[in-house]
This record gives sequence, C-alpha cells and structure tokens, in this order.
Amino acid sequence: MSLVAGPGRGGTGSGQLPDELGLVVQKHVAYIQSLDTRRDELESHLTEHLRISGIYWGLTALHLLGQPAALPPEEVIEFVLSCLHDNGGFGAAPGHDAHMLYTVSAVQILAMVDDFVELEMRVPNGKMKIARYIADLQQPNGTFAGDEWGETDTRFLYGALNALSLLNLLPPQRKDEPPLINVTAATDHVKACQNFDGGFGVAPGAESHAGQIFTCLGALSITGELDSFLGEEGKDRLGAWLSERQLDDSGGFNGRPMKLVDVCYAWWVGSSLAMIGKMDWIDKKKLTEFILRCQDPEEGGIADRPGDMVDVFHTHFAIAGLSLIGYPGVMLVDPA
Amino acid sequence: MSHGVPRVGGEGEGGVASSQDKIKARIKAYKELEKDVTDRIKNEDYSNTTFQLTSTLLSQNPEYYTIWNHRRLLLQHVFAREFSTSSPDNPTAEGTLSTSDDHADTTAAQKAGLSPSQHEISLLISEDLSSLLPLLKQYPKCYWIWNHRSWLLTKATTHLPAASAIKFWQGELALVGKMLALDSRNFHGWGYRRTVVEAIERLGDISMAEKEFEYTTKMIKTNLSNFSAWHYRSQLIPRLLNERNARREARAKFLDGEFELITSALYTDPYDQSLWFYHQFLMATLDTTNPQAGIILSPCTNSDRKMYLEQEVTSVREMLDGAEDCKYIYQALLEYARRWRDLGGEVEKTDMKEWLGELRKLDPLREGRWRDLEKVLGLEVV
Repeated sequence: MSLVAGPGRGGTGSGQLPDELGLVVQKHVAYIQSLDTRRDELESHLTEHLRISGIYWGLTALHLLGQPAALPPEEVIEFVLSCLHDNGGFGAAPGHDAHMLYTVSAVQILAMVDDFVELEMRVPNGKMKIARYIADLQQPNGTFAGDEWGETDTRFLYGALNALSLLNLLPPQRKDEPPLINVTAATDHVKACQNFDGGFGVAPGAESHAGQIFTCLGALSITGELDSFLGEEGKDRLGAWLSERQLDDSGGFNGRPMKLVDVCYAWWVGSSLAMIGKMDWIDKKKLTEFILRCQDPEEGGIADRPGDMVDVFHTHFAIAGLSLIGYPGVMLVDPA
Repeated sequence: MSHGVPRVGGEGEGGVASSQDKIKARIKAYKELEKDVTDRIKNEDYSNTTFQLTSTLLSQNPEYYTIWNHRRLLLQHVFAREFSTSSPDNPTAEGTLSTSDDHADTTAAQKAGLSPSQHEISLLISEDLSSLLPLLKQYPKCYWIWNHRSWLLTKATTHLPAASAIKFWQGELALVGKMLALDSRNFHGWGYRRTVVEAIERLGDISMAEKEFEYTTKMIKTNLSNFSAWHYRSQLIPRLLNERNARREARAKFLDGEFELITSALYTDPYDQSLWFYHQFLMATLDTTNPQAGIILSPCTNSDRKMYLEQEVTSVREMLDGAEDCKYIYQALLEYARRWRDLGGEVEKTDMKEWLGELRKLDPLREGRWRDLEKVLGLEVV
C-alpha cells in the first residue's frame, strides 16, 4: 500500500452537491486497490515510513465498505509479519525501526484479518511478545513513549490500550496474571490532560485538540471510566466544545477553534461525540454533504477538503465518519 | 499526508518521456542514498560521512523516523567515545565526527567549567541544532524534527553542567518564539515551549510564570483570535497568583483586569469563538463544578459569584447592540443565567425563551443541542 497522494482531487466545492451524488463506493475500492501499483512515483518511496498504517487505513475502509477481501489477506499478513522486530514491535515497513504507532497498526490489521491465527502459528507466543513491547514503553507517570527514544503523547497511550485490548491482554482481561501495565497510572495521566473547556490536550497543560480528545476518550472508554470521570456536566461541556467544531459555511469539522475544516475530523470529532452520546448536537446531513464533496467522483479517493489531492488517510477517516452517521451501505463502527 | 495541499504536479520542462526519466533517476538516487545510510549504520560506521549522509536523506524526507534514530545512534556513539577516550593528548581519529576546535574555544570551555569531552559534546549539539533550523522552518509541523531537538536538549542536560545546559534551553526558547511568530497556532511549537520553559525553571531553579504571562499578552495583542495564547494564559494565571502570594484584593483586581481585557476584545469581534472560550474560562474559575479551570478569586463566596454573574450578564447583554445576529452572545447569556439560577437567583423565563429562540434561528446546525438545553432549562412548551 503506497501512501502516495492523488492522482485525483476532491470535488471543487463550488456550488451545490447534485442530489444524486452519493458515496462512489466502487471507485473508492478501486482507488485503494490501485495504491499498491504506484511504485513508479517518487512520493510512493518518500512515504514508506507510513506504509503499515496505510494498509490499516485502506483495509479498514474496505471493511466498512463491505469488501474486506479486496486486498488479498495472505499478502497483507505476509507484509505485516515482515515488519515485526525481534523485540516484539513493528516498523512501518521492512527495515524501518519499531514504533508504537506502527505496532498498533499491525495489531489492528492482524486482529481484523485473521484474529492473530497466522501470527501465533509463525511466532511462538507472538501476542505476548507484542504486548510486552508495548508494556515496556509505559513511563513512570503512566503515559507511553512512542519508542526507546522517549517521545510521549496521548496518541501512544491510547494506541497501547487499544492494541492490548485487541490482544486480549489488558489487566482486566487476565485477572489471574500479574498486570502488564499500570492501568490506573495511565488513566490518571489522561485525566490530567483535561482542560477547563472539557477537552483534552497532547500532555497536561496542552490546548484541547479534537484528535487528542478522541485518544483520551478512547482510552477512558477502554478502561471503563468514561462515564464516571466525565459525569453529565463534563459531557455537556465537552459536547459543546466538540459541536462548535462544525462550521456553518461548509458543514465540515475543524480540530480547534478558528482553524480550517478537514474531513478527518469527521472521525475525531464524530467518534468523540458518539462516545459521550452527543451525536445529535451536530448537523449530520450537512456533515455528510461535506464529506461527499471531498470525494473525487471520477477516480475515487477522498481529500481533506474539496479541491485538494485525495489520499488513503483521508479516504479512511471520511468513510469512518460516514459510518458513525449511519450512512447507507457503510458498516457501523465502534467509536472507541 | 496531504493536509491542505493543493499540489501542482510535474516538472514543467521537457516532454512526458523526459520527465518520466527524471523521476526514475530521482527514485534511483533516493533508494541508493537510503541503502548507503542503512548499510553504514548496520556496519556501525559512525563516521562524519555517515552523519552527513543522514542530513542529506533527512532534508529530502524529514518524516523518515528510522533515519532520525540512526542519527541519534551515531551521536550517542560519539558522545560515549568522547567520554571514554577524549583527553588533550588523545586527538580524535581522522574521519570521525568531531568539530573544528581551536585553542581559544578550549580556553573558553575551561572558563565555563567544561571538560574537553563536555566541550566537544556541547559543540556537536550546538552544530546539530543550528544545522537543522532550515529544515524545521520548511516543515514546522513535522513531529520528528521537534522530537530530535528535544532529544538533543535532554542530552545536553544529562552530559553538561546546568549552567551550560540552560544556555541551550534559552536558545530554544528564542527559536520557538520565532516559530510561533511565523505560525501562532502551531501546537508543536506551543508544546515545545512548555517543555523548554519547564526545563529552564528546573535547571535555573526559577519561575518564568510572569515572563510567560507577558508573552501571552504580547501574542494576544498581535492577534486576538489566537486561542493557543489564550489557553496558555489560562494555564499560567492560577500559578502566577500563587507565586505573587496574592491576597483576595489583589486577586479580585486581577480578575477584573482580565474581564476588562476580554470584554474589549469581544467588542472588537463578538463572532470569534476563541474569545468566548476565554470568557468561559474566567467564569469557570468561579464555578465550583469545573475544577480544571483553577482558581483566581480566593476566598470566593456565593455572593461574589452572583456579583460577577450579574456584572457579566449585563455586560454581555450590552454587546447585543449592533450584534443581534451573534449566536455566541445568546449562548453566553443562557449559560450564565443558568448558573445564576443554580445559585438561587431569579431569571425572567421570557428572557431565556427569547434568547433560546434567537439561538435556534441563528444556529440551526446545533438544533439538537438547543433542544437538550431547552429541556435542561425547563423552557419546553407544555
């Protein structure tokens, strides 16, 4: 899966959407399939450092579109396992170093494709090996580093909990064994990232950001503390902030006050609203229209905004956004 | 990812065939460079040439995180070698990564209390920081570049005496100031600034709360709509007042000053939600149900709370004049009226109904939210 952008562009954005234009499902499927055949473009090589995440985005989009086999599962598994390091972490592509982000993508793919069967067959105790790599990245203050070089971010914390939960190796999932990670410390760290506006930032003290809100709510949801921590008032405050991300003119979402719209926030904001039960606080019809305007109706693929180049990242998050809204023909997704 | 990139493709000159050849040649050169760097690191060739090759590769692709890791491996190796071998009688071998040292430098280093190896490490870090500046300016949103600077700075902190390390952090403070002047909402920049300030405070055993507070004032005056600066200000205030040992009277005066500032900003642009969020923050510091806001006025009684609510509702109502189509005004009025009522105050139901009606007219996108609000406020028509 190459991460190369284009060749298509999202719709021009001028004028109204023709009533008949829906999601061009087959074109998006063909677009995702075509990404692997573009090795003759420089950008395809310049984006190798994201390749495994690219596969995750492409594959999830295909699952949501009801065509999970459009990428051959054997080839996908083969590629993913070729990114596994001895330490249990995954790099973005063969030869690239292990990192939390790509380990999470690998776990998500393996869970989706064959529920880790092939992994366990080829790598003795493979699931536990991966879990240990992730667990070792937890820091004394509860948060997680991306790799041995030490950068921390609530993205990594959410990724760790998400992957461990898919591996079925979170402490609550194996009560009789010594815990691999300190869940309380991780949850406390997430709580410390909350701001007066109800949102969450990348670290304690950082400005609220829709992407980080998704990771923090996702983490709280996995540890089962979402409702008890936020309470009704907290949900109202956060819901208000999130609903203000929808812009009057385009109907799309931005990620912070007074920033530009971007189709990927259909997922970050949308799933966050869904997790706190406030999906009705935005205009779903306007959001749908915005997402559909970001499509390239001829060649498939979805861009961040109408008129920009399409790519697989935005294609995936746009389709996931439509799934949250219950768009016909798109499978329903779990927001956390 | 192509965030906000209305790309223009093509090299322009030559026919399709020649541009295809050019692309092929560029791919080939890139792959060769990549292989060269990777092979050298595999063979533990931590030479100056390898270091320069990582620079070339990263300038073509700063997102290539594995190459940043290689660069750090190399630097780490050089630092370790400095500590194990470096002495005045033991010059570094030819071709290895080192800086062009001279006698004057060495004397200056001795004065600063640095050993020769610390001096060399300090020069290496300094060179790497400055050589990466153009790349950061070109890719200000690249996580890995910021990340690498952080790593260099933690190495400076580990290997050098506090007085030398702090100079590096102060240099970064100046740099991040410049980066935020170029893009005042860059959240990498704001995050880095917090890290830098914390390090200077720790190493220098000082507080920078006052200076940073002044910085937010400067940033807000340059661009009122900068919520990142308002947010940072909201984080600094509770600490600032504690450090000033401010008594109640000083705190009240401070809060009044902030209300004045935000009110005049709101008069300039009542349609800017950044400003309303800051107004909400000030009100939230008076609200016991929102502990994340921190405390400004202390001690604070319910009659203080009511006084401020009354004052702000009056002030916000006055903003309606000429801005009757501004939905944020009605939102604020309803929110503060609700709190007023929670404190036992009386609010005209007809007023609240009117505000809600305006809000629904002006902001149909969030109709579901207004419907829920109507229920919470008990304004439904039975």
